[in-house]
Amino acid sequence: MSTFNRRHFLGSSLILGASSLLGKEADQKIITETKNFVPPVIAFPEKKPLKVISDRPPLLESPRDIFTQPITPNDQFFVRWHMPDIPTYIDLNEFRLQVQGAVETPLSLSVDDLKSKFEPVEITSVLQCGGNSRKYYATSGQATHGVQWGHGAMGCAVWKGVRLKDILNKAGLKSDARFVGVNGLEKPALDETPHFFREMELDEALSGELIVAYEMNGEDLPYLNGFPLRLVIPGHFSDSWVKMLSEITVLDQYRKTFFMDVAYTVPDNDCECVVSGGDFEYKRKPIAAMKVKSVIGYPTPNTIIKKGSRIKVTGMAFDQGKGVKEVMISVDGGKSWSATALQKDYGKYAYRQWIYQWEPKTKGEYTIMVRAINRVGNIQPLPDEIGWNAGGYQYNAVDSVNVKIV
Amino acid sequence: MKKIILLTSLLTSMAFAQVSKPIEMPYVDYPVETGDHDEVVQQYCLICHSFGYILNQGKKSRPYWTGTVQKMVNEFKAPIPKEDQQTIINYLVKHYGYEVASGH
Ligand code: HEC
Repeated sequence: MSTFNRRHFLGSSLILGASSLLGKEADQKIITETKNFVPPVIAFPEKKPLKVISDRPPLLESPRDIFTQPITPNDQFFVRWHMPDIPTYIDLNEFRLQVQGAVETPLSLSVDDLKSKFEPVEITSVLQCGGNSRKYYATSGQATHGVQWGHGAMGCAVWKGVRLKDILNKAGLKSDARFVGVNGLEKPALDETPHFFREMELDEALSGELIVAYEMNGEDLPYLNGFPLRLVIPGHFSDSWVKMLSEITVLDQYRKTFFMDVAYTVPDNDCECVVSGGDFEYKRKPIAAMKVKSVIGYPTPNTIIKKGSRIKVTGMAFDQGKGVKEVMISVDGGKSWSATALQKDYGKYAYRQWIYQWEPKTKGEYTIMVRAINRVGNIQPLPDEIGWNAGGYQYNAVDSVNVKIV
Repeated sequence: MKKIILLTSLLTSMAFAQVSKPIEMPYVDYPVETGDHDEVVQQYCLICHSFGYILNQGKKSRPYWTGTVQKMVNEFKAPIPKEDQQTIINYLVKHYGYEVASGH
């Protein structure tokens, strides 16, 4: 792309094998074990060491203990790209966001334009991959296709940027505008592979809550989280939170694409799950609004704790923006439940921290479970109750952690 | 303002946004089990992503791996001839999976 005066790629587009990807520069070679494969934990640029599910494209999973902080630090925020061809150098003097298609005046905006010519807005919101926690489907039922994430493909940040609505209004919508397509700078290795292009209805794009963010937690977006611009859709799974956002295209009709109509879809029924037969026998719908969920940040699995300790059990809860009403906890594997104390409210799309003071009186193995309910009565299912879908999306069953008191 | 992620010697003199010293994208040498035509697997399955994608799946059944390879070919347009697809599926089932009659 001509907007870059110099580009480096995270990956090569040729059949070269992984060793040649970064050429001579990459002298840091990490060898991993094959048996019972555990991904290596390595620091990527601007990141603390995270679990490297893949280096190309980078898929970095956050550790469970980040769920003890209501705002996820940028350097521990998970990373998830889809395509191997990602520019690794961006010159802001040349980078432009194009606004095109069914608009009166196409725009070509620099990051400075966005900062100086539009009203800045801030929102605290959870960013969660649609496939987050996918691996847990296999613990209670049939395995699902896709990257087998634990809970670490989510985080919560303060996003600052410009309303998408304001950008569209500045360009001026033509009367036949119906949909808004967004895409960024990541590209597939082969031209034939579908590009990561996402679409939404015009109403959604104009809602005023969607922002084109240039800051995350008071800093430039980390490179691997989409520098310099990323779309933020509070309350929604992150499939359309396009990174390195470079094009906004207003459309008069919907474009069918793989990443909208096949990937990231679930059965279009009430449970959004497979009741019988095969998943793709169902009419599809794209995943969108997140489901009420809570996770345990401390203790982490298999922690050994001395009897008589006063343990601050804590974690995060959130939903699609209705607001968390209550988070219940069980320390006896689900037999009895108690209330937890909800902490500071950072806004309806943010994490809500919960805390429970626990003083185990007897030695032994304990299973801690948490279950959230939101203000409209959505409650997390138990693991053996959760509706199944072949893509393993939207996992939100009750989280549990085993600990040992000695 | 310039932001640099992969720094080669040519770029060391430039200004950084948040990056204060030269950085490089780590490269992970994911282990690949040898034998049963792993060279065919390496030839095709590393074009678009690392072997980490495959290792991350854990042990999976033959129908599961067959489905995955078909998805690569049909949806992502992996240019893999039919007979090589079968070789790859057999390799994956043997080294990263198990046989079952049906289901996942
Ligand atoms: C033409 C490009 C291409 C080739 C070649 C390719 N893949 Fe993929 N593969 C993809 C894309 C694109 C994804 C989805 C990437 C994403 O969203 O992160 C993917 C995802 C995967 C996943 C993650 C799980 C899933 O179901 O999405 C696995 C496992 C996988 N590929 C295995 C393979 C194997 C085995 C081969 C060799 C037969 C292969 N791939 C060859 C493009 C390719």
